[in-house]
Amino acid sequence: MRRLPANLIIGGVLVALVVGVAALSLVWTPHPENLMNIRGKFAAPSATHWLGTDQLGRDLTTQLMMAARNSMAVALIAVLLGGSIGTILGLVASAVGGWVEDLVMRFADISFAFPTLLFAIMLAAVFGPSLQNAILAIAFINIPVFARVARASANQIWTREYVFAARAAGMGKFAISRDHILPNIAAPVIVQATIEFAVAILAEAALSYLGLGVQPPESSWGRMLSEAQTLMYLAPQLAIWPGLCIVTAVLGFGLLGDGLRDITDPRLARER
Amino acid sequence: MIDVSNLSVNFGPAQAVRDASLTIAPGARIGIVGESGSGKSMLGLALMGMSPDAAQVTGSLTVDGTQMAGASERDWRRLRARRIAMIFQEPMAALNPLRRVGDTVAEPLRVHEGLGREAALDRALALFKEVGLPDPAARLRQFPHEISGGQRQRVLIALALACNPGLLIADEPTTALDANVALRITELLTDLSVKRQMALMFISHDLTAVARATTEIMVMYGGTVVERGPTAEVLNAPRHPYTKGLLAARPRPEGLRQSGTRRRLPTIPGTVPPLDKLPPGCRFAGRCPVELPQCATERPPVVANAACHLLAQGGAA
Amino acid sequence: MGLFLLRRTVGFILTLLVVSVVVFATMNILPGDPALTILGLDASEDALAALRDQLGLNEPVISRYFSWVWNALQGDFGISHSFKVPVAGLISERLPMTISLALAGMTMTLLIALPAGILAASKHRKAADWGVMFLSQLGIAVPAFWLSMLLVLLFAVKLRWLPPGHFPGWDDPVAAIRALILPTVALGLVQSAVLARVTRSSALEVMRLDFVRTARASGLSRGRVLWQHVLPNALVPIVTIVGMQFAAVVTGTIVIENVFSLPGLGRLVFQSIANRDLPTVQALVMMFAAIVVTANFIVDLLYVAIDPRLKART
Repeated sequence: MRRLPANLIIGGVLVALVVGVAALSLVWTPHPENLMNIRGKFAAPSATHWLGTDQLGRDLTTQLMMAARNSMAVALIAVLLGGSIGTILGLVASAVGGWVEDLVMRFADISFAFPTLLFAIMLAAVFGPSLQNAILAIAFINIPVFARVARASANQIWTREYVFAARAAGMGKFAISRDHILPNIAAPVIVQATIEFAVAILAEAALSYLGLGVQPPESSWGRMLSEAQTLMYLAPQLAIWPGLCIVTAVLGFGLLGDGLRDITDPRLARER
Repeated sequence: MIDVSNLSVNFGPAQAVRDASLTIAPGARIGIVGESGSGKSMLGLALMGMSPDAAQVTGSLTVDGTQMAGASERDWRRLRARRIAMIFQEPMAALNPLRRVGDTVAEPLRVHEGLGREAALDRALALFKEVGLPDPAARLRQFPHEISGGQRQRVLIALALACNPGLLIADEPTTALDANVALRITELLTDLSVKRQMALMFISHDLTAVARATTEIMVMYGGTVVERGPTAEVLNAPRHPYTKGLLAARPRPEGLRQSGTRRRLPTIPGTVPPLDKLPPGCRFAGRCPVELPQCATERPPVVANAACHLLAQGGAA
Repeated sequence: MGLFLLRRTVGFILTLLVVSVVVFATMNILPGDPALTILGLDASEDALAALRDQLGLNEPVISRYFSWVWNALQGDFGISHSFKVPVAGLISERLPMTISLALAGMTMTLLIALPAGILAASKHRKAADWGVMFLSQLGIAVPAFWLSMLLVLLFAVKLRWLPPGHFPGWDDPVAAIRALILPTVALGLVQSAVLARVTRSSALEVMRLDFVRTARASGLSRGRVLWQHVLPNALVPIVTIVGMQFAAVVTGTIVIENVFSLPGLGRLVFQSIANRDLPTVQALVMMFAAIVVTANFIVDLLYVAIDPRLKART
């Protein structure tokens, strides 16, 4: 048994922490969600309010836990959506080859001209700002990323002997892609998904901060920060906690992704 | 000009060079032969103060009478290029691909001798002529990928000569080259050494090249010097069992039978063990055809320039 | 060489065209009536009809696309619905702010990342290396807008050394530069995290190559070897990332301008979204996408300038 890399362990612990808190918020929070208490606003940390309260007297710990849940949900939906479309496109490109492959890869090249924020801005301008649009924008940006990873990995598998054997046995391209290629590109795709999860959390935070993501009354780390910004002279502590949560989550998924890559593909484990 | 005694290069428990001693007089031409892993390149790097970071170097090494054992990078830098220069095996990889070769050769002149760009390029041009590069003025402005392997090696020699070193260490200078190009590079190095009264340390496993280029020779195996002496003497009448095996393994034209089939070359049995698996006594023990019981455990004495228990007892290997 | 340039230029123009189609399609073909989006549900039928006419919505989509591109090429992006002035004027007023912020941010990124990456590579597996790697790992996880807030908290709220935001205009250059310090640092610090890592790993790879040994054997100092031999050879991957990062820096200005209330294109985008000013948003999105595509095109050209071997190959 090889020793697990440190980034995998640290990343795993941070991810377990964030996901655990998000899951816990489904069944329990220290105070009822969104319970306001204007008299008790800006309360200092205490036994009842572990991290104090915000400008509306809401319990900060509770808000952060709800935000964790929202953030995880957004990242999960967006990465699943964009990841599966991208992976399928990559598989098809690799299986069919020729102009189809060229077309998919051109599309991937060109979509890099649209960072998540630009795409979200377009959608927000047409449909108005909403959480769905933010998820769509993050998912969209994941499509080319996964298409590239899936195609590159699939192209390697297509040259393996067992794939030749399957073709010789008369298996169709679709069946081979499903039964032989997909299971064998799972590792790099999952690694990419973990890393993109971190990217999605950052994107959601930025979009929510700008008002293009999670809308009130739902809570989000990005939104909490944008509210805290106007109160910076009054209650600077409100600007600290949500940011720390973002960093913890992003760092966790990023390290976990790096660690998974290190153990699944030693060739890619660059000098670090 | 250089005195080395009991120089060892260790990587933890593994000894890449064990107690090597040699003296290099001005203008001397010394060959170092041995298989890869024999420590010959490590010895060359040690003389430049360029042993890998992980290596511990012990023993004494004086250059022009100054003790350089344990000297700082800064002190070594003063010697490199100006007193001791070195060229390496792969002429393609050894040149910065993004620089015109003229600028590469001019750089040490500008850094060490404070020349301006024009003056340094003039000197580079003279050096290119000296090393026999065809159309030297045009070469100055070319990039490494635009010239041939032999020409690249000549550029590297020009670079090494730039600051008129007293010793040129050539580490496998001909290995990566075609046979006839290799021959000409060997001749060039010999000529330069004679004309400039510059000592030459020719490190190679190519015995033919070493025979042409040098007057003295050191045979290394497993980090130790097993035999040394005048080149002609050692190559014509080898005494150490390893040298004998090495020479016998050399392909010769007379090895071709009349039928045209090749005579099977005698080879030394086994392979060179990894550095940390070498026997503590004679490094050649275990592969030696005439091994004595004490060979694997006791270090052999040096008798008449060969380190061998059998020879010390008066036997003939 | 000529062929390479031609191919890249054609590719660049085609990419811009496709991008313009995507922007136009997203903003115009997706279900929904732009006039309704702009005026809101309670607009009168007459007003809607008038606006549709003004926006040219009664014409076929294809001809609207071509006239948009044709006018845009001549610097005419239509009339802003909310500001009632030409969009081109709105953009040219605010472009200098965004460009100077982006360039300053990119410069800051390079000034931090290149030395940090080279330092880490030269001290491979030593304390400085671990330090750079740790900080860059952290930097990748820190959102730029939060870092901005932390900087404001420290330098504006607590120490009161620098203003927390707003731009006083270039009439007072000292005040203007002071106002841009924190935004620039926030942009640069975050971006430099990725670049420092790429610089380090690229430099480490180059340091294994033989010519580095040749340079050392020529008696050159470590610093000279690192900066004049290792760094230029490590540049190709670095330049690739810099091209991508320029895109990130440009979109980063959208966020940063909103954090610090700086009057650039990023602020304009959000004002336009709030005002449902579709022509302006469309022009701005196209503008940003064009900057991103252009940055990548320039990177392609830079490869050739950096590496003479590419000239021979192409």
